[in-house]
Amino acid sequence: MCIDAQMLSAYLDGELAEPYRTQVKEHLEHCPACRHHLEDMREIGDRIRSTEYPSQMLDRNKDRILSVLDAKYFQNGRKVGFFRRRLEVSLPSLVTAAAAVVFIFIGSFMFFGTSDEQTGEILPSFAVQAGNGSVRYVSDAASLDNFTLEEILHYLDSKGYNVDISIKGLQPLDTSIPAAESAE
Amino acid sequence: MEIKSTDRDDFRRVYDADYHLLVQVIMHIVYNLEIAEDLTQEAFERFYVKNMTFPSEEDARYWLIRVAKNLALNHIRRNKREIEMVEKVKRMPSAAADEKDGASEAIERENREEVRRAIDALPENLRLVIQLKEFSGLDYKSISKVLGISETNVKVRVFRARKKLEEVLRGDERDVY
Repeated sequence: MCIDAQMLSAYLDGELAEPYRTQVKEHLEHCPACRHHLEDMREIGDRIRSTEYPSQMLDRNKDRILSVLDAKYFQNGRKVGFFRRRLEVSLPSLVTAAAAVVFIFIGSFMFFGTSDEQTGEILPSFAVQAGNGSVRYVSDAASLDNFTLEEILHYLDSKGYNVDISIKGLQPLDTSIPAAESAE
Repeated sequence: MEIKSTDRDDFRRVYDADYHLLVQVIMHIVYNLEIAEDLTQEAFERFYVKNMTFPSEEDARYWLIRVAKNLALNHIRRNKREIEMVEKVKRMPSAAADEKDGASEAIERENREEVRRAIDALPENLRLVIQLKEFSGLDYKSISKVLGISETNVKVRVFRARKKLEEVLRGDERDVY
């Protein structure tokens, strides 16, 4: 029986352990087919290695690059300190971090609000000006929100308007009775 | 002997011993000397910046080959489009270039092209193993350390790569003759 091709491949690389190596060697002596196969594999290897790039080509900048690295890292006996290390952060994580900072900043106002005492703690000189007493809301004017529906209807009624109110899904109301009832 | 990557003498020793191998390995992935040199420099910079201690010179070498290989593969992936365009231009028949080369050089270049095509056609996991085997002179054990796979796996991959190359390269011959 002939040798498994994988074993032959390992034999070619000198990586076959004993006792297999001796067995393969003996087999090769009297098996032209396996010898031929081994030769083929060796040839392929030779061909691949023949595409190796020559030393003078690969090493043309060896000294130059070494001197660049030497100047960059070793002259003046410099060592890489913690802050000199290159910090690599991927873009997504950077965006996430930025979003988190913004969220926490806004969130702190949303959840805890601000008060005189807090402002006083943080910025005492500003607290006096920003105290509740000295802050006047700009839109203090009366709006419809300040009246109940009843008052509005009364007002409109007194002005002679005929108001018809209906609530979706319910039967239309008869607004000829005083509107006050329908408001309830 | 222990190797400290930020020690000047150690760094020099490793650089001297492995520079050639790294350029060779990267060259067979990127096929461009300027880029191979840049990436080799990058690999040594990382070696220094990581400030690591290796139990032996070999371990430093395995680490460096791994980094160099990854840098080269990343480069290929990132610049796929650009590289394809350059290749296209290169493959265009250029009479001037052919005349300039001697006959033996032309044959050598042809062989190189053919082997390169055959190797490029291999799946990545086989390609790297056979390249490391043939170009770096590393044994199975070392390759397994570089790639982080088992020795048996290396053995199998080397064999599979050979088998495929045999099919492709010998098939070519049959076509030609």
